[in-house]
Amino acid sequence: MWWTLGLVLLIIKLTIVISVLFGFAAYMVLVERKLLGRFQIRYGPNRVGPFGLLQPLADGLKLIIKEDFVPRSADRLVFLTAPAVVAAVPLVIAAVIPFAADFTIGGTRIPMVITDLNIGMLFVLALASLAVYGVALGGWASNSKYSLLGAIRGSAQLISYELSMGLSLVPVVMIAGSFSLVDIVNAQARLPFILVQPVSFIIFLISAMAESNRIPFDLPESENELIGGFHTEYSGMRFGLFFVGEYVSMIVLGALTTVFFLGGWRGPLLPSLFWFLFKTMLIPLFFIWTRATLPRLRYDQLMHLGWKFLLPVALINIVVTGGVMLLMGW
Amino acid sequence: MPRLVIDDLEIEVPKGTKVIDAAERLGIMIPRFCYHEALGAVGACRMCAVKFIEGPLKGVQMSCMIDAQDGMVVSTTDQEAVDFRKRVIEWLMINHPHDCPVCDEGGQCLLQDETVSSGHGRRRYPGRKRTYRNQYLGPFIAHEMNRCIHCYRCSRYYQEFSGYRDLGPLQIGNRVYFGRFKEGRLESPFSGNLVDICPTGVYTDIPARFKVRRWDLQRAPSVCINCPLGCNTIGNSHYRAVMRVEARMNPYVNGYFLCDEGRFGFSYTNGGADHAQRPWNSRISGADVTVEAALAESASKIAEISAIYGPGAVVALGSTRNSLETQSMLSRLCRRKGWQGPVWFNDPAIYRKVRSGVERLDSGIAVSMREIEFADFVIVAGADLLNEAPMAAMAIRQASRKNATIIVVDPRPISLPFEFRHIPAAPAQIERCLGSLVKGSISKDELKGFDSSAKGFCKALPAKFEEKESGISISELSGQLMSAKRPVIVCGTGIVCESTPAFAADCAQLLRESGKKAGLFYILPGASSFSSALLSGPETKTFSEILPQIEEGLIKALIATESDPFWDFPDRERLDRALSMLDLLVVIDYLPTETVKRATVFHPSSTVFEMNSTFVNQEGRVQHAERVHVGGVPIWGAHPPRIIRNFVPGGDHQPAWELLWKISAETSMLESVLTLGELIAAEIPVFEAVGHSKYPITEGRIIPENSEGSFVKPKASPAKGQTAKGFNLLLTDTIFASREPSAYADTLASVFPEATLFMHSGDANGAGLSEGDMVSVELELGAIQLKLSVSQRMARGFLFLPRQRGIHWQKMKEFSAWIAPERIRKI
Amino acid sequence: MAQIKSVLRDLLDDVLGLADSYAVTLKHLFRKPITEQYPEYKRLFAERTRGRIILTRDPHGEERCVACYLCSAVCPTDCISIEGAERKDGRRYPLWFRINFARCIYCGLCEEACPTLAIQLTPDFEFSKYGVLDFIYEKEDLLVDHQGKNAEYDYYRHAGVSVEGDKGEHINEKPPVDVKSNLP
Repeated sequence: MWWTLGLVLLIIKLTIVISVLFGFAAYMVLVERKLLGRFQIRYGPNRVGPFGLLQPLADGLKLIIKEDFVPRSADRLVFLTAPAVVAAVPLVIAAVIPFAADFTIGGTRIPMVITDLNIGMLFVLALASLAVYGVALGGWASNSKYSLLGAIRGSAQLISYELSMGLSLVPVVMIAGSFSLVDIVNAQARLPFILVQPVSFIIFLISAMAESNRIPFDLPESENELIGGFHTEYSGMRFGLFFVGEYVSMIVLGALTTVFFLGGWRGPLLPSLFWFLFKTMLIPLFFIWTRATLPRLRYDQLMHLGWKFLLPVALINIVVTGGVMLLMGW
Repeated sequence: MPRLVIDDLEIEVPKGTKVIDAAERLGIMIPRFCYHEALGAVGACRMCAVKFIEGPLKGVQMSCMIDAQDGMVVSTTDQEAVDFRKRVIEWLMINHPHDCPVCDEGGQCLLQDETVSSGHGRRRYPGRKRTYRNQYLGPFIAHEMNRCIHCYRCSRYYQEFSGYRDLGPLQIGNRVYFGRFKEGRLESPFSGNLVDICPTGVYTDIPARFKVRRWDLQRAPSVCINCPLGCNTIGNSHYRAVMRVEARMNPYVNGYFLCDEGRFGFSYTNGGADHAQRPWNSRISGADVTVEAALAESASKIAEISAIYGPGAVVALGSTRNSLETQSMLSRLCRRKGWQGPVWFNDPAIYRKVRSGVERLDSGIAVSMREIEFADFVIVAGADLLNEAPMAAMAIRQASRKNATIIVVDPRPISLPFEFRHIPAAPAQIERCLGSLVKGSISKDELKGFDSSAKGFCKALPAKFEEKESGISISELSGQLMSAKRPVIVCGTGIVCESTPAFAADCAQLLRESGKKAGLFYILPGASSFSSALLSGPETKTFSEILPQIEEGLIKALIATESDPFWDFPDRERLDRALSMLDLLVVIDYLPTETVKRATVFHPSSTVFEMNSTFVNQEGRVQHAERVHVGGVPIWGAHPPRIIRNFVPGGDHQPAWELLWKISAETSMLESVLTLGELIAAEIPVFEAVGHSKYPITEGRIIPENSEGSFVKPKASPAKGQTAKGFNLLLTDTIFASREPSAYADTLASVFPEATLFMHSGDANGAGLSEGDMVSVELELGAIQLKLSVSQRMARGFLFLPRQRGIHWQKMKEFSAWIAPERIRKI
Repeated sequence: MAQIKSVLRDLLDDVLGLADSYAVTLKHLFRKPITEQYPEYKRLFAERTRGRIILTRDPHGEERCVACYLCSAVCPTDCISIEGAERKDGRRYPLWFRINFARCIYCGLCEEACPTLAIQLTPDFEFSKYGVLDFIYEKEDLLVDHQGKNAEYDYYRHAGVSVEGDKGEHINEKPPVDVKSNLP
């Protein structure tokens, strides 16, 4: 009985999370285009439906009915699976993110997370680095020089920033004393970690931007030199999947930032779910703002930033945090 | 050999070279308007100014007027010279109209080029522009006198170079006008060169008027195939139509110029102005079919007839407008398949004349047109140059300008653009006249040095030849010939006796033995007569000899390859009857000939502009004509359809040799012969000399070092005078209308000469006829009507009938006829 | 110490620079967009705008084009094809004139090259089509009934060739030389 109820609950939660993520991702595209338009003193899409609200539907429809083209010299199987990897990975990450305070029905506590792993953060880090497989494989399987260059850049970029991202989270774990994301949120009951660990937050934010291949770190794509990079040869919905992946991962990274630094679902007055979503959306909006503001880094600047700045700062931050904790006797 | 420096480049040039030519050898093109290599320098336009920095002369001088000398240092880019030229251009442009958009010269205009390069862009002179009224100069040349810059090139070319007087400068000073005194067609058959020679757009050609700009043309070096001279041309095509033909400089053949027939007689390849006159499609019994169907039909029918009646029942006809490739293929197929032929000529006499002449040519005796230009004594025997090979007349004109003595021995009323002595000897008397002329020029001492055969020949030559009517003293001419160093004998093959070509060769040989650099130049009947003679042997037949076999039913199939027996076979009805007895008449051609109309199976072949082909001219010079364009029904002339097609309309034609190979079903051909070069060399061994399998063969003369022909004792000339009263009617050629490809060009149709019968004025008086009368001549099989032209300067007892398109003269039994006086009536 | 100071100052500069640019974009977010909503609002284009090509007529209503082939020569995409012809009075005109607008890049070089001001580019750009063959415009489609931009220009009043009338009647010309008279 209990396991059936658990299963039903799980399925309900999964459905809700996935549809919310997809819906948000789709409208994130519209929001981004609209915002970018306004940042550039123009309107953005406003033709399909009122205020262009049906634009994501039109785009999706268009992508679905477009020809699914596979280059003759491509490695067919890898070529076809790569977009799925990109799209699936952030969804899996979402499984460990607690999105609201526990909810009690009839005395039964229902955790507002799909599964609360005690090594949640390691799980997140492990999966986050898996996403690059989609990029790398897709670029390699296309058998095109642009795609391959994009793929190589993607791998290098990921290795560089994965490191500082992981290290920036070490102080969080140190303070929270747990890898479980629920525990981390609970540890921020008094103070969100953004106040305790601002340096970590900044490093994490930059790394997250790099992880999701957003401007100024969109070197694997770089439209103007690599014609789209790893997805040059893709078309139709498979091309769309790369973007679904990108936008879902933006939202997921926003959720993770919320969990790690912004105190998760915690907030005054309003329901916890609202606070969670609100905080989560701040991060993608910031990404969009950044996109409208900053130009793309050069490849050497990217490497320089990752290895010579973020990594040492993150290490120093760990040492300092450890020292302070030792002194404070936490 | 003076050495001089031009623009920091040193060059050594032969003495007498002008500085402008020395610069051109270095690749420096000094601007010029009046200077032309063929016309020489007059220093009129002041455009070729350059600065002489060191050496015997200093300062700005005209480079066309100054011979290169040792130690000269010349700058073409010196500011002083550049400014000088710029001012000259500005001054020339003062009266030049604002015409470039509507001028056909635009894009190939020397004045335009020089104006742009000098930087002159705006007319500073505020005064009004001088204008002239234009003249009608005939159907080839448009006149727009406002554009003239008074370089005098046209009048120098027209009067000095080509020897005609009807176009020249009128008035003085700022009012100089180049034109005719009265409007009318230019008399010169070389008038088209005015278009090339004019540095701006005063003379533009009418056939291409407003149709195309130079930069849109597809151009390729080609060869004119209208007469045996093989003048070098450039074919220009646009929108699948040949738009114009220009002269291509070849110092050994045509120099810078072309005759009007060669220049304007190209529209047969476009099918005329409406593009409908050329048979574009393959046909079986008159119905259009695909190329493959027609080829299969021909191949199967030929195989069938060969199987039933034996291969000897198939005859292959070639002609003297076939390319060398086609002729070689014909020859090879006849040998391998056992067909009769190839048959090149209709008239056995002409065939024998061509063959005997070609056999006697060797590299010592054969001269090119350039060598004729430097001859000091020219004897033209039995050739009407202006009508048979116009550019040869131009070459002799150049010799005449260098004070050469020109003698024409011909029964026809010859007119030529230079001074010459005309001996109107009857064909049978030409040898006597020539012989006595040559004999008189050989001194006793020289005679002693000859070997026995030469001595015997010389002794057998007639001692005296009296020409009463012209009053020319042969002995006086012989004296001039004796002192000549480079005499040339030009011998025709049309109306002369069968022995004359060989006799002319003997005479030239004799002159050579007497220490002169004597030359021999034949006028043959068609573009590739030379190669057809090389490809024929003693047993080669002519069409007249084949015809009885057709009538007897021994021949069942005829393959006519670019060959039209109707063109010059004298008995049209007999030919028609004979051809209707054939089981199969395969015709490969590009002209709408009578034979094509009767074809059982017709295959369209490519014209010289549509394929790579080789032609051998009458002095044995091998020349290659490149493909100008792919060909097809021209787009030009009508609105192009908005249809997307994957084929070219009218693009079915193939080179005749390719069609022949396909219809012969000779599959082993590919295995045994790999390339065209090898095919030609296998058929004509003399090609080994110019490169065995090198194809295309672009240069070289295929004549032996020494011919084996030796002196043939001249026969006693026939009894003089005809016993029966009457006239000997001979067929002759006339310019524009008598040669096969060009006579089908509608561009020339308007200048076809009027159908004219030539008669001696004495004979005409006797018959009560006078100049300009319309007469009816009753031939053996019917009467023809034409205009009578009388002349004192021709042989008595002869009638000359031009074998031209449009006159239905084919009512004779033989290639000549005997006409009793009462059969010529005035109407 | 000084080194650390300068590094820190550099860092501060960089951060401030970044913040500055963020501020600029943020400011833009609240500005009114300058976009013009195209099908609802159509702005007037300058005369010189390079859009659809026309062939104009001279003030007498004759075709200005003399088929000089300069436009087809200068066209970088080879989208103009012409065939010249001669009218009975000797005037040169295009027998047909074809522009393939599917190839045209509206560079305006043809207009610049045209010596008779016949070919002109207009501000009209709205002629999308479904079929690519519909973009091939013939002379009838191109020729208009007005003078376009330079109303008074008439090439044949300046040319040295005369179409109607005698020589020497055009602008800035002397009467024709009489070659048979010696009078100055």
